[in-house]
Amino acid sequence: MEPSFLFGQFLGGLTAAMFLFLIASGLSLIFGVLRVLNFAHGSFYMLGAYLAFQFVQWVGPRTEGFWLAALGAACGIAVLGGLVERLLLRHLYGREELYQLLFTYALVLILGDVAKITWGTGQLSVSRPPSLEGSLNLLGVIVPHYNLFIILLGPTIALIFWFVLQRTSVGRIVRAAAQDREMLSSLGANVGMVYTGMFMVGSFLAGLGGALVTPTQSIVPGMDVAIIVEAFIVVVIGGLGSFWGTFLGALIFGQVLSFGILIFPRFSIFAVSALMAVILIVRPWGLLGRPLR
Amino acid sequence: MLHRRMLLAVAGIAALIAPWEAAAQKTIKVGYPMILSGPGALFGEPALKGAQMYVDEINAAGGVLGRKFELIPRDTKGNADEAVRVSRELILKDNVDFLVGTLTSAEGPAVSTIAKENKIVFIAPIPKTDQLTAKANLHPYVFRSASNTTIEGRTAAEIVAKWGLKKIATISPDYAYGQDVTKAFVEHLKKIKPDTEIVDQQWPKLGEADYTPFINAQMAKKPDAVFSSLWGGHFLTFAKQAKPLGYFDAVKYNFIGAGEAASIESARTMGADYPVGIWGNSYDVNNWPGGPPAHKTYIDKLRTYTKQENPSSWPVTGYVAMQFLAEAIKKAGSTDSDKVAKALTGLSIDTPIGKQTLREKDHQANRGQFWGKTVNDPKLGHATMQEVLYIDPAPFMD
Repeated sequence: MEPSFLFGQFLGGLTAAMFLFLIASGLSLIFGVLRVLNFAHGSFYMLGAYLAFQFVQWVGPRTEGFWLAALGAACGIAVLGGLVERLLLRHLYGREELYQLLFTYALVLILGDVAKITWGTGQLSVSRPPSLEGSLNLLGVIVPHYNLFIILLGPTIALIFWFVLQRTSVGRIVRAAAQDREMLSSLGANVGMVYTGMFMVGSFLAGLGGALVTPTQSIVPGMDVAIIVEAFIVVVIGGLGSFWGTFLGALIFGQVLSFGILIFPRFSIFAVSALMAVILIVRPWGLLGRPLR
Repeated sequence: MLHRRMLLAVAGIAALIAPWEAAAQKTIKVGYPMILSGPGALFGEPALKGAQMYVDEINAAGGVLGRKFELIPRDTKGNADEAVRVSRELILKDNVDFLVGTLTSAEGPAVSTIAKENKIVFIAPIPKTDQLTAKANLHPYVFRSASNTTIEGRTAAEIVAKWGLKKIATISPDYAYGQDVTKAFVEHLKKIKPDTEIVDQQWPKLGEADYTPFINAQMAKKPDAVFSSLWGGHFLTFAKQAKPLGYFDAVKYNFIGAGEAASIESARTMGADYPVGIWGNSYDVNNWPGGPPAHKTYIDKLRTYTKQENPSSWPVTGYVAMQFLAEAIKKAGSTDSDKVAKALTGLSIDTPIGKQTLREKDHQANRGQFWGKTVNDPKLGHATMQEVLYIDPAPFMD
């Protein structure tokens, strides 16, 4: 096997990993702070893709307007997320987790139908922005500029989050909310605002992931359910609620999928699922997660 | 008392109306189970439209045997169980005389068993699995006006054999259709061009979102040409990822996409992202230079009917299936399923795509598809077939 081929396979896995990280980090963040497992996260991702398509139609396909459209889609989903948290989810915090799960699952069905009614059932497509249309030759491997952008975007977002969470006062409050919400609210912080804010940030990431994936995939009904399964695998491997765990989980997922097809050509998804199963047995709280008390 | 009197009155009226109704009800009812919601509706809707257009046409001309057709569509939701359920309902509740329809290779065989149980003629316009009319499953009432995986795979092999290339690779979704059509392609190519070497076979799962690892792995094997059966949105995702990776350049566009990769739908959706220069197939084309006049007439009618300048490539599937049914009823002089089934067996008719025959042996039509190398059409603003090739599969059907 040529080294350039292995390098290409590695880069392919890395691109997939960074896409997954964008989406799974939002899921993990929401769980980490709100303790809500948001099934509808995949629906937010799908709606992000549809919104991006819609905005691209307005600003003109194949222009740099793509960036505006992607950002607009992500913000739109953040607002949607904020509304869902504020108006609906908020009433379920005191209830059993099962109710929250059922509620977010109902959202999956509703949002899926909304997408179908609005954009139909056909396949939709968005082109790469002209600035990232080309490819470059990296050590004998052709790497599309767009993939390179995604590979760089992942760690950038991870670093921004790390910085905000660890080094700013906002981050301190968020971390405190994750640790002990009652204590924080008795100290006078507005926990409700923190929750809404975090849900919006998580939704923003889902929407951004959906918008940015459109140049590399067709937009079809059903992409919501496909992605949520993968995002769950990532956070389970990395540790639910752990930010760097999600990053690590995504990296592992991407590489196992990429190199898995060389070993088990027809069972690459099996390799990832098997890995998840092993981790669930040996270390149920994930690689970098902490055991729940 | 009031109740009883009302009942009597209703019964009286019913008795008066009944014979009258029977006369009005003399339409020929055709149940049409089809995917009308979910992702498959993109193809199911136009397939219904084609059938409806034929029905409107023949009804305007007075119908068949002096009776008009009535098409009763039902949504199968792309699910074989649901297809079975609505077909049963069509037979038992709606009293349909015939069944025409289904789209996927799971729905077709499932509804075929219902047709057999109820001794009702069933014509499949789209499902391609060989299983539908294989010896073990064939019965007097099932017919297929669609192409099948043997025809599609072998036709692609006939084309690729002419390229004179040796190292061939395949990439197909890992489920019944993908496996069957790829097997038919590989076996036929090896038979007609024995020096063929299959250097790589990739089997991404159906609905794969990231084809990059498969694309890289295939490129590493350096094939001269590639056969694919990724269809619809799957082909779109694949091509959008493969093109910037230099995949199509690496095989010098010696790439042939079965599964309607060159259909109007795919070309239109992808626009400038289409890997122009590859080969692909389609159920229909809106411009068939060497085609019969009947095809041009049909496309003109379709444009008017759908109010689209560049209509879908799927209506022809439903149109031809309904045409077979109507011609068989005419020939049988009856709507009795046994008689119509006999009339359908070996029946030859002139369709918009030429002469089609439902073979006596296996009730399978010699249904080929349109194949061609794609070029950019500046007028349409997207890719289209350069030279449209309709290959009659009769010579290489089993």
